[in-house]
Amino acid sequence: MGGTSRRADRLITLGLALGTVLWLLAVEGREGFGRDEAQYMRAGERYWGWFEELATNLRQGKPGRSFGASAIDRYWSDNAPDHPVIMKTLSGLSWRAFHTCTCTGPARGLHPIPVQGRHWTLPLFSRDSTAFRFPAILFAALLVAMVFRFARAWLPPSAAAAAAVLTLAQPHYFFHAQIACFDAPIATMAFAVGFAYWKSLRDPRWGIAAGVLFGVALGVKHNAWLMPFFLVAHFLWMRRGDLRARRLPRPPLAFVAMLVLGPIIFFLHWPWLWNAPVARTRAYVVRHLDHEHYNFEYLGWNWNQPPTRTAMKLLRATAPFVETGFTVPVTTLALAAFGAAALVRRRRDEALFPDGESEAPVAAQPSWLRPGADVDRAPGAFVLFQTLGPLCVLAVPSTPIFGGVKHFLTAMPYLALLGGIGLTSIARGLVGALPIARARLGRAAPAVLAFVVCVPAVIETRRSHPDGLGHYNLLAGGFAGGASLGMNRQFWGYSVLPMLPDLEARAPENRRLFWHDVLSDAISMYKREGRLAMGVGDTGFGEDGIKRSEIGILFYEKHWAKYEGWFWEFYGTTQPIYVRAREGVPLVTLYRRGAR
Amino acid sequence: MDNDQVVGPAPGPTPSAMNSRSLPRSAPPLLIAAAVVLLALVETAAALIAPSRAPTDADWAAAARQVRAEFRPGDLIVAAPAWADPILRVHLGDLIPIEVAGRLDDDRFARVWEVSQRGARATATTGGTVALEQRFGRLTVRRIERQAEPVGYDFVARWADAQVSRVEAARTVGCRTVADRIQCPDLSFNFVHRQIVEVDNRLREALLAQPVGQAVVAIEYPAVRLGRVLVVATGLHDTWMRKAARGTVEMRVIVGGQPQALPTTSDDSGWTRTRIDTTARAGQVVPVRFEITSPAPYARHFAFAAEARG
Repeated sequence: MGGTSRRADRLITLGLALGTVLWLLAVEGREGFGRDEAQYMRAGERYWGWFEELATNLRQGKPGRSFGASAIDRYWSDNAPDHPVIMKTLSGLSWRAFHTCTCTGPARGLHPIPVQGRHWTLPLFSRDSTAFRFPAILFAALLVAMVFRFARAWLPPSAAAAAAVLTLAQPHYFFHAQIACFDAPIATMAFAVGFAYWKSLRDPRWGIAAGVLFGVALGVKHNAWLMPFFLVAHFLWMRRGDLRARRLPRPPLAFVAMLVLGPIIFFLHWPWLWNAPVARTRAYVVRHLDHEHYNFEYLGWNWNQPPTRTAMKLLRATAPFVETGFTVPVTTLALAAFGAAALVRRRRDEALFPDGESEAPVAAQPSWLRPGADVDRAPGAFVLFQTLGPLCVLAVPSTPIFGGVKHFLTAMPYLALLGGIGLTSIARGLVGALPIARARLGRAAPAVLAFVVCVPAVIETRRSHPDGLGHYNLLAGGFAGGASLGMNRQFWGYSVLPMLPDLEARAPENRRLFWHDVLSDAISMYKREGRLAMGVGDTGFGEDGIKRSEIGILFYEKHWAKYEGWFWEFYGTTQPIYVRAREGVPLVTLYRRGAR
Repeated sequence: MDNDQVVGPAPGPTPSAMNSRSLPRSAPPLLIAAAVVLLALVETAAALIAPSRAPTDADWAAAARQVRAEFRPGDLIVAAPAWADPILRVHLGDLIPIEVAGRLDDDRFARVWEVSQRGARATATTGGTVALEQRFGRLTVRRIERQAEPVGYDFVARWADAQVSRVEAARTVGCRTVADRIQCPDLSFNFVHRQIVEVDNRLREALLAQPVGQAVVAIEYPAVRLGRVLVVATGLHDTWMRKAARGTVEMRVIVGGQPQALPTTSDDSGWTRTRIDTTARAGQVVPVRFEITSPAPYARHFAFAAEARG
């Protein structure tokens, strides 16, 4: 690759990253707060409180106070042992740095830590939530940029850029990419770890990087635990010659670094662990190994525990594959199929495409520092394991599926990469088939084709927003098709946001409002941002919450049917006064007591 | 492809023959590329067009006007697909009282109004004839007329007629009406209560009667005029309770002294209907007794509804 093309690549990388940030920032304000996100924002702000106190203690020359057990637990026990704290801490820091402070106004009491006075900030964002979400958005941009850089080793610029765009332009990924949660960031980290591992096969510096990145991934979300399995699977496949010769390949530097640096970074990043490292690490691990099966609708069934009958186990096992088939844009899926075929057709030791990175061995002897130098690195197996690995784990019937696609979001960048490979394969065939007299057309064709295949993904993604969870692709039939198939439409109460003006206008009944699945943290954030009047009430959760209320909302998920029954019973009517729908598919219903 | 051969003068096969011969080499890549472009265009077009396929508020309002104009008490109004039901109820919910929305089944309705979109049909219309069909934008209103089973005795609506007791090994404990339920002594959860239940993630109006360990919960209606059929539906209420336990529940119905076992109710049963033929005793007034037992009654929120019909 020449200097000019390296510069062009850097510019494209920057453009893709910037475009990602701008797109996500432009639309994130339309997406409401789910239960988890509101909790993470609260926790992030509380974690900031620890840094604030640390600064005070430093000024007083007593920094040790911040490292005592009670000081640590006062701040860091929030949302523990549920999730490690890298993203929440970044969210808290981002909020502190970039929000526009109205903190001493009427919403002062809604902050999880005392507001001492007006915050001096760089007020990039008018809403607090945008500032909280900003780090996750940067992670999405990083992923898009990384996919391009990774793909460039194999693919021409247009196809690599298309792979990057197809990573972002997936309705379900896009939904998660703009919120202050961990599912999109862990997809970024899975790709980063995979990228570093891949590079480490022929460059030892990347072995250390893989260890560091794995440690960061462990601090982002527990999906990181699975990454080594997919990488080891590839490593063993790549070095299957050793296995055939009945000798164990020496563990490569990347794995050693991951094993050593991963736990160290994980432990250091999470102050909550410091007070009782073994007990608390155990609590964290058990929390996720023994995680409750929340309710989730899939193919018309409500799944909230491991199936016991064989037929249901088989049906349940299809979930990640069917969900992928019904949520990723169809053109992207088709390209990925061609990409998989191209990887299968590739001959050993040859580059995937003539202009791409060679797979011919560059060393005669094996080395644990460069374990892929003396063999073909098996790019097909690499992409296959990274793509199918997360799906296969979620196919095990005993695993919970309540998050839908977000549980295997780490596969999606690799799926998009496959799409880029498929695109290159098709474009090369097309150029080869064009007459020589059409040389100019032949030169333009790959870029035009790359543009054309990105259009449906971008349009679908735009269409899905802000209700990406309820969106299904052309195969499923969109929002309506997904509903008819009995697929999940939403979870955790985020979809109320477009109804807030209506709810606010319904005074005085809204003083006694039943919020159903919207947590008080989310309501607080809506109020902090001025999207909801301070006087709007919250009658609490469950049956008693509805009994106490004058108006109330209900989110349509299969398992919430009982709540609708309570509305009928306590309000004395089956008639809602409003239904928020997407393309005719109900998402949220508003009831008013005694409405006729 | 050798372009010189194609565009140059003979020798060799004619240009058209060359074209057809060279097609197999070049056509698949071209066809594949064309197919992918076509797919992209179709997907784009579908994404752009799909939102306009949804019914508008005006469509719903017009359809509702039509239904209201000819609605008769006792008619059933349904949406197709069923997921559109909440929007249907925004417009016509005042004509769908709780007992209709939470009906045992659809069989007792002679006239069914179906408000349909996207070509869907409601199961409630099965077996009927379309007496009226009219389009309102993206919605189609149909009135379906069919043979109905008139209800002679509704055991849920007549819950106050019931005599409830708990039959233990050594004694029988009588229960009495307390406010909105029939409560048995000593065990707070041992009652019979008419309420909206959620069985199989659908709402029904039913009697909730939790089983009691080592005992029979008996619900007896002393004087029921039988029709040609007694329909009994059973299920387990509450998705969280179904998640919490795996025990089964048995129900036995004794109609005028003749016992009849119903299918075992489990977490996976859904809302199970059983039809008991009472043709031979149609018109007779007899006691009907429901007996509920369970070997593992924890978290078993058993619900049932029954109607004497025909």
